[in-house]
Amino acid sequence: MTRKNVFWATLLIFCMVLVLATGCGQPANAPEGEGEGEGPSAGAEVVKVGMVGPLTGGAATYGTSVRNGVQIAIDEANENEDIPGVVLELNAEDTEGDWSKAANAFSKLIEQNKVNVIIGGVLSSETEAGGPIAMGGQIPAISPSSTATGLTLGNPYLFRNCLSDEVQASQLAEYAVTELGFEKFAILYTNNDYGVALKNAFEETAKELAEVVAVEAFMDNDENFKPQLTSIQTKGPEAIFIAGYYTEAAKIAQQALEQDLEVQFLGADGFYSPVLMEIGGEAVEGAIFTAGFHSGDESAVVQNFVNKYRELFNEEPDMFAAQAYDAARIVIAAMKSKGTSAEQIREGLAETKDFPGITGNTSIDEEGDTLKDVLILKVEEGIFNRIR
Amino acid sequence: MFSAYYLQIMILVGINIIMATSLNLITGFTGQLSIGHAAFMSLGAYAAALATLKLGLPFFASLLFGALLAAVFGVLIGIPTLKLKGDYLAIATLGFGEIVRIVFLNLKITGGAVGLRGIPKSTTLLWVIIAAILTIFILNRILRSRVGRALIAIREDETAAESMGINTTYFKILAFGVGAFFAGLGGGLFSHYFQYIHPGSFGFLRSIEHLCMVVLGGMGSMWGSIIGAAALTAIPEFLRASADYRQLFYGAILVLMMRIRPEGIIGERRSRRKPPQSKDKKLGKINIFKVIGR
Repeated sequence: MTRKNVFWATLLIFCMVLVLATGCGQPANAPEGEGEGEGPSAGAEVVKVGMVGPLTGGAATYGTSVRNGVQIAIDEANENEDIPGVVLELNAEDTEGDWSKAANAFSKLIEQNKVNVIIGGVLSSETEAGGPIAMGGQIPAISPSSTATGLTLGNPYLFRNCLSDEVQASQLAEYAVTELGFEKFAILYTNNDYGVALKNAFEETAKELAEVVAVEAFMDNDENFKPQLTSIQTKGPEAIFIAGYYTEAAKIAQQALEQDLEVQFLGADGFYSPVLMEIGGEAVEGAIFTAGFHSGDESAVVQNFVNKYRELFNEEPDMFAAQAYDAARIVIAAMKSKGTSAEQIREGLAETKDFPGITGNTSIDEEGDTLKDVLILKVEEGIFNRIR
Repeated sequence: MFSAYYLQIMILVGINIIMATSLNLITGFTGQLSIGHAAFMSLGAYAAALATLKLGLPFFASLLFGALLAAVFGVLIGIPTLKLKGDYLAIATLGFGEIVRIVFLNLKITGGAVGLRGIPKSTTLLWVIIAAILTIFILNRILRSRVGRALIAIREDETAAESMGINTTYFKILAFGVGAFFAGLGGGLFSHYFQYIHPGSFGFLRSIEHLCMVVLGGMGSMWGSIIGAAALTAIPEFLRASADYRQLFYGAILVLMMRIRPEGIIGERRSRRKPPQSKDKKLGKINIFKVIGR
């Protein structure tokens, strides 16, 4: 009995030591990396860049993409010595996808790590909870992916670098009417915050310019869309806007083909995944949707990022990674033009104008919101091609 | 005095002490397994936030309003579900928790999936300390009274308690009501600290976290819940240093803790209701065994 207890106690102590070891490992590693990175300009000032997002839990895929994107941007800046005499260091903190833990992460980065700027949060709720803390600590924060309406209002320290759902949907509606010449639309939306925001904006713009003949809802993970499609078919629309994600969109397109409903499919950045073609096949051919990023873009900056990402992380970069990369580069540009203190970075971010990012030319308006071009992509022979 | 980060951890520790001790009243002392405690917390959080935002009530009144509303729901939910026992009650409370979360996710007044923002930051460490001490004091008084003995009697043996003239349904609902009241108080402090609330933080995982605090500290021990709440709030923050392995270590600590001290840090070692074995019985066993062996 006692021997058993001793065994477990030893295991516990071993674990504790391991925790402490990894804990101490981090700060010990940092100066090492520094020495390697810069070589001659030793004694350079270290500026810490924080990152907050879900690195574990159900939303971990988004957070990890964001961290990877930021990492590439920071490594590039250090290699090229973009900011003379300054070495950037990434401090990433996990939120588990829980906003109250995001608040802890923001506080910790500001108080303990003494970061000068934070890239995050990733989910809208994380940014909502972290925004007031960033303002209280007078540290600027830029979210690469929180699309909630009015997020940055009334907070001079909060910025974002992503397309809002509203902007995407209304620009697509305009494009579909003026460029593609459609006049009768139907809308199929998924009943969550993403789907509802897209639906509302698309419906508003489409009604002004043309006609919306049917609006139907579905749930995430639905399998059968025949009832909605049958109801839509009787109204005879020319195009269907699917406000949802690629899995459902692909199934909708297939089931529409099965019942000979020949229409143009439209969508938003929720379509952006190779899975769309894997499930949809022939049925999604010709689908047109908006996106913030196109990895097939042939410009040198995009290809440089895509190749580096593949090399380092062994996977295709997604929209989150691209927007995070741009957000980090916008921060670096702000440091270059103004300086590296928190206040100087904030000023620089607020004055961002026509920044040439891989997700389009980006400006930041007086509310801290982003203005950027919306890309429009089309599925052609099983791949995405940019048509605008 | 402290940096804002440590202050924040201490405030969270205080709120979690309120949550854990109030759950301990239900689960540890009355023996009713509840995994819907976060639902009462969210009721208190939303009610207090809306009382401040829409009705313009002062902070103290909002807190009380949130706590009372949670208590009302605790009683309302208690009446139909407390006829259930053990696992069945656990599943029912789980279902209740999910219903509350989904309702908040879809209501217009709570901001739905966007959440509620702009709540004034009224919660200070002093408020949290006062609330926590008050909670512990009141719960202690209840437990040392006739009511407390009735609750413990229900935990030990419900049938025996009933046969001794204890109205078990009444006392179980009372425990749920009081537990929900303090959970609502914790929720009100929570929403007025973060200035923002979203249903995503009051899911089933949060309820499990509260249950872990109670079990790790020791079921049926007031000090156990306090230490459990402090430990499980602080440990994940200290483990931030180990970055990617954080959740792994956290899980390992829980597993090891349960393996070494299943009764919790301060829990009393309780006999598992085995009748005491007399020497005669043992002898009898051996004799029977020998007989069969031959």
